[in-house]
Amino acid sequence: MNTLLLYFKREWQLLFRNTGALIQPLVFFIIIALLFPFSLPAEITLLQKIGGGIIWVAAVLASLLSLENMFQSDYQDGTLEQAIIHQRSLEMAMLGKVLAHWSATGLFLTVFSPLLCLTFNIPSEQIWVLFFGLLLGTPSLTLIGAVGAAITVTLRRGGVLIAIIILPLYIPVLIFGAGMLSQSAQGLEITSQLYTLAAIFVLAITLAPFAIASALRATIN
Amino acid sequence: MNPVSIIWKFLVTVYHRLGSPREFYQIAQYTTPIFGLLSLVLFVCGAYLGLFQAPADYQQGDSFRIIYVHVPAAWLSLFVYMVMATAAAIGIIWRMKMAFVVAICSAPLGAVFTALALITGSIWGKPIWGTWWTWDARLTSELILLFLYFGVMATYHAFEERKTAEKAMAMLAIIGVVIVPIIHYSVEWWSSLHQGATIFAEGGPRMPADMLTPLILMILSFMFFYGYALFLSAQNKVLLNERKSQWVKAAISAAEK
Repeated sequence: MNTLLLYFKREWQLLFRNTGALIQPLVFFIIIALLFPFSLPAEITLLQKIGGGIIWVAAVLASLLSLENMFQSDYQDGTLEQAIIHQRSLEMAMLGKVLAHWSATGLFLTVFSPLLCLTFNIPSEQIWVLFFGLLLGTPSLTLIGAVGAAITVTLRRGGVLIAIIILPLYIPVLIFGAGMLSQSAQGLEITSQLYTLAAIFVLAITLAPFAIASALRATIN
Repeated sequence: MNPVSIIWKFLVTVYHRLGSPREFYQIAQYTTPIFGLLSLVLFVCGAYLGLFQAPADYQQGDSFRIIYVHVPAAWLSLFVYMVMATAAAIGIIWRMKMAFVVAICSAPLGAVFTALALITGSIWGKPIWGTWWTWDARLTSELILLFLYFGVMATYHAFEERKTAEKAMAMLAIIGVVIVPIIHYSVEWWSSLHQGATIFAEGGPRMPADMLTPLILMILSFMFFYGYALFLSAQNKVLLNERKSQWVKAAISAAEK
């Protein structure tokens, strides 16, 4: 537990000293979402209908963008190697790091998503559905993505490879997250989707740290 | 000695022999032609029975006969993934060199079977469903499976050092196994246009015997073909990986004579 908090704190300090990296995913998220109204016919009802899905896709892309530098700088300055050699649990350390990373990207996106919903004229009940969907979904996205980032950390240009290997794995989260919105738009119950998203999150938070740690041990010599 | 321990001992011997690249290469010299021949014989029998002997479907007419390519390909697309992931796990856990070779050689084969299932399915879908493609559960999960294969292949080729590449690829294949069922059930969510399970349905296969027999022959033929292609490409890979060792040089100079 100490290890987790230690790495969480360290990651937060690093992120706040480099505010550019903190704000970039958020700006990217908003710009991606705002590109859609320009490319679609100007109908308010259409945007209302597909706005939630657009915001989900934008969130997926934004968290994908932030993955590449998750381990990169730590790998380059040797911190990651020290963490592997150190007798502290690598799994816990990486979990702390990933959670800190999520709170700086996924959480920010979630907090700003209601603002985007307003520009798409999404009704207020649905804004809550989207908000809680993102709150439950984005940690899973970051955890799954971190595994891909760990596999590709030693590659100099791993960005495209991360996208290829991680995006197919994001599909379940996307289906349940965006499916929740279309369910609630028809006035149906959304508890089953919420539970499934929560189940995916629990599965991801228990398995991903082990996958991340063994991927790092395998690729870093 | 009781039979169980004899079988166990035999399996351990096979495992150890297959674990050494040289022994694997020599065993593959014998198994490759056997697998190829079996596949060919079964293919000829299955294709003849399926195309000429099986009766036409009462609803779909003769167009149903594409089933004899479509179903085996779809079956193999999953089977190959399981083989690949099992081999990857064996490689990671017991550090077995040959397991990685099997896993890597399986990936392109699996991708081809998946693509074949998608293509034949879409050719079949046009006259029967009236569309080339639909966002149906099975089609979508098959498409995602194709991308998982691409991911595994891309990961392997992205690394310069072979050992790292093997481990990274194996990790990804294992992660895929955890996620494939989740993907499958999540896409099952959309109402399905594709027909349900026919062969392993409750209360026996829902298909007359003269249609089913060629299908089973074709599936077996595809499996032996996979074995044949796997052994061939694994042999190639072994020669490439071990090109600096003495026995490979001897084998090559013997082949050149």
